[in-house]
Amino acid sequence: MAHALDLAAVWIKQSGIGAPMTGLPWLWPMCETLHFVGLALLIGVAGLFDLRMLGFFRRVSLASVMDMRPWAALGLGINLITGVMFFVGAPDQYIHNVAWWAKVTFILIAGLNILAFELSPRTKALVERVGPGDNTPLRLKFAGGISLFSWFAVLYFGRMLPFIGNAF
Amino acid sequence: MDLLSSLEASGFATWMRESNSIWGYPMILTMHTVGLALLVGANTVLDLRLLGFAERLPLDELSRAFRIMWIGFWINAISGAALFVADATTRGTSRLFIGKLFLVLFGVVVILVIRRQVFGATPGRPRIGMTAKVLAATSLAVWVAAITAGRLMAYVYAS
Repeated sequence: MAHALDLAAVWIKQSGIGAPMTGLPWLWPMCETLHFVGLALLIGVAGLFDLRMLGFFRRVSLASVMDMRPWAALGLGINLITGVMFFVGAPDQYIHNVAWWAKVTFILIAGLNILAFELSPRTKALVERVGPGDNTPLRLKFAGGISLFSWFAVLYFGRMLPFIGNAF
Repeated sequence: MDLLSSLEASGFATWMRESNSIWGYPMILTMHTVGLALLVGANTVLDLRLLGFAERLPLDELSRAFRIMWIGFWINAISGAALFVADATTRGTSRLFIGKLFLVLFGVVVILVIRRQVFGATPGRPRIGMTAKVLAATSLAVWVAAITAGRLMAYVYAS
C-alpha cells in the first residue's frame, strides 16, 4: 500500500498537477481556511444527529435532525476536495506520516459507517420510527457513536500531522 | 510592551514553546480546534435553522445548543490564552490577531443577541422574523471571517 502510494507520489510530482498548491502563495492558506470551515460544518451538523442517535436531545424526532444532513455532506465534500488538494500538493509529507495513516483510517471507518447507514433500507425505516421522546435502537446508537468518535479522531490526527509527522 | 515580554518569558510560555511533549503545544492547539468545532458547529446548526432549513426541527429545543457553544467558547478562551502567551510579543502587536479577537467578540455578541431575540422575549415561544434571519446570516459570515483570520496567523508569522 505504501509502495503504491510512493509510485503515486512520483507520478503526481512528475505530472505537475499539484504544483499550484505550493507555487501559488495564497492557495494553500485558502484551502486550509476552507478545510476548517468544512470541519466546523461537518462536526457541528453530524454532531447534532449523532447525539440524537445516541439517545441524547430526545425531545425531538430523529427525522427532524436528519433534515440537516445535507449540510454535513457539504462540510464533508469541502474537506474531501481540499484534503485531496493538500495531498496532491505535497504527497511526500503524508505517505510516510503515521498521523496521516491514522487520519485516513478513521475517515474510512466514518465513510463505511455512512455507507452502511445510507444503503440500508432498514436503518432508514428505523429513523422514521424514532419520534419525539423515543429512545433509539442499538443499531442507531452504534452508528451515531462510531460517527462522533471517528470525526473527532479525524480532527485529532489531522491537527497532529505537523507534530507526530512533519507535515506543514 | 513590557507586559507582553514578561508573559512570553514566563515559565509556562517557555514550556509551551520549548517542550517536545505532545501534551504541550500540540494538545493545546488541538483543543483550540475542538473548541472551534463545538462553538462554530453548534452555532451553525442554529443559524441554518433560523435561515429556514430543517423546519421540522422544533426551534425551542435548539436552545440547548447554547450550552455546547459556551463549552466551546471557554475551551477556546483558555487554550487561546495559552497559545497567546507562548508568542505574546508577536501576537500582542499583530493587527491580524487583534482583528481576530474583535471578530470573535463580534461573533459572541451576535450569539447573545440571537438568544435574546429568538428565545428571550416570550419563553417557550420563539419567533423567526427578518431580524433573526439577518442575525443568523451575520453570524455565519463572522465565524468564517474569524476562522480565516485564525488560519492566516499560521502563515503570516511563519515561525
